[in-house]
Amino acid sequence: MTAMRRIDLTAVLERTLSKLSGDLVTRSTGKAVRGGVVEQLAGLEREAVVEIDFTTVRILDISCADEIVGKLLIEHGTAKYFVLHGVSVAHCDSIVQVLERHRLAVVARTRDGRVQVLGPLAETARTAFRVIFDSGSTDREQLARKLSWPIDTAQQALDELTSQRLVQLSANRYVAVTA
Amino acid sequence: MTRVVEVPGQFDDRTFDQFAKDMEGNGGRLLFDAHATHWASPYGLVGLLAAGQHAAEQGGQRPLLTVPTDRDVAQYWARSGFFEQAAEWFELHGKVPRVPTSQASDVLLPITPVRGSDDVHQVVEMIQDRSAAILSGELGLDVTATMGFAMALSEACQNIVEHAGTSGWVAVQAYHWKRRLGRKVVVIAVADAGVGFRRTLEATQAASFGDRWNDGTALEAALFQGASRFRDPGRGQGLAGITRYANRWEGKVSLRSGTARITIVPSWDEDDPLIDGLPNFPGSQVLIIIPAAQGQ
Repeated sequence: MTAMRRIDLTAVLERTLSKLSGDLVTRSTGKAVRGGVVEQLAGLEREAVVEIDFTTVRILDISCADEIVGKLLIEHGTAKYFVLHGVSVAHCDSIVQVLERHRLAVVARTRDGRVQVLGPLAETARTAFRVIFDSGSTDREQLARKLSWPIDTAQQALDELTSQRLVQLSANRYVAVTA
Repeated sequence: MTRVVEVPGQFDDRTFDQFAKDMEGNGGRLLFDAHATHWASPYGLVGLLAAGQHAAEQGGQRPLLTVPTDRDVAQYWARSGFFEQAAEWFELHGKVPRVPTSQASDVLLPITPVRGSDDVHQVVEMIQDRSAAILSGELGLDVTATMGFAMALSEACQNIVEHAGTSGWVAVQAYHWKRRLGRKVVVIAVADAGVGFRRTLEATQAASFGDRWNDGTALEAALFQGASRFRDPGRGQGLAGITRYANRWEGKVSLRSGTARITIVPSWDEDDPLIDGLPNFPGSQVLIIIPAAQGQ
């Protein structure tokens, strides 16, 4: 696994806009916070895993979710791996809507510690992600065997997970992108 | 010449069109006559402010407004923060009660101006503790309803900041709908007298609708297709977010702009999903109603 960097959104909010509320609302706030996040990406190695920490965020509206998650994945998602950490149920609602609009997916760790994929994804890919996450790492044949799938189905699921940057491929083994 | 616009006795979303009809026409200084008004919802009050702002900006002088003669009604308007805002846009006639804007539990957010992003932050900040107490306490909704409520409120207010081209107002109140629903509700009302949905979306949407382009199709495009005046594909999601939230909690969402009104109708209501050909009213008015859980 490559290097991991955690970025606390409330700290970014305080630094960029001097707001202490922990509410990520309005598009202009989202834009400013995304700018602060992107600043912290500079200097990170390509393919680094970046954990965006929502733990101290109270409210996340859709405009902010679009700026902070949607645009971040669109603009930097091919160069880095992103994981959302400490998201609440309400955060997930806003984020999922944004991801559906852009047809993107991202790994999230919820406040109760569950790891899940947010955003549109084929059911087979979602199942495959769960297996990869639970097992630590797997290859195509192991995945197909475990799920009693044809190799093609397993490969298709892995291709989707890879293209959505939800798993990393290293020495022919797939690892879930988690922090 | 003074033109009288009667403020309905019961002034809410159901009598708003009658009020808008009274406002139609040109010329003369407007006199908004609320002396006999005995009840006004947050939607009525923010709409009245938008009407006053529009009249003042169009007519070059502030319109007149007669204060409700019923002392309790006038005090309620004062507690809601109405007169504090109205003083800028109306020449007030009648006795304005010297009652501070309320901290009472039914007024979750007094009538608050929305002029920019900082106001939206302030509104969200102000609402959280009180809405949590009302939504999960009195309305019996899941605790996650509170966070979504602030999201919906934020998005509704941002429509003013992003699209109206002028300022507007928001108010949030809880009250018991004895006759209409038999349950307690929380209501978000947002109004502005800005450019409205049709004009906002004209440049990006009108061509694809051709002759069908009007206030109704503009509202449909905004609500159901996520249309926005911006080319950015991430824009135009706010109303969809509000609708999702309302659907989850059996709520009602209604948008009025120009001569049309579109409504997401919950099972407990019998409103029309889309009404065209209403009396024209400037800007946009948003109503979000979240009812108590069944049995509360």
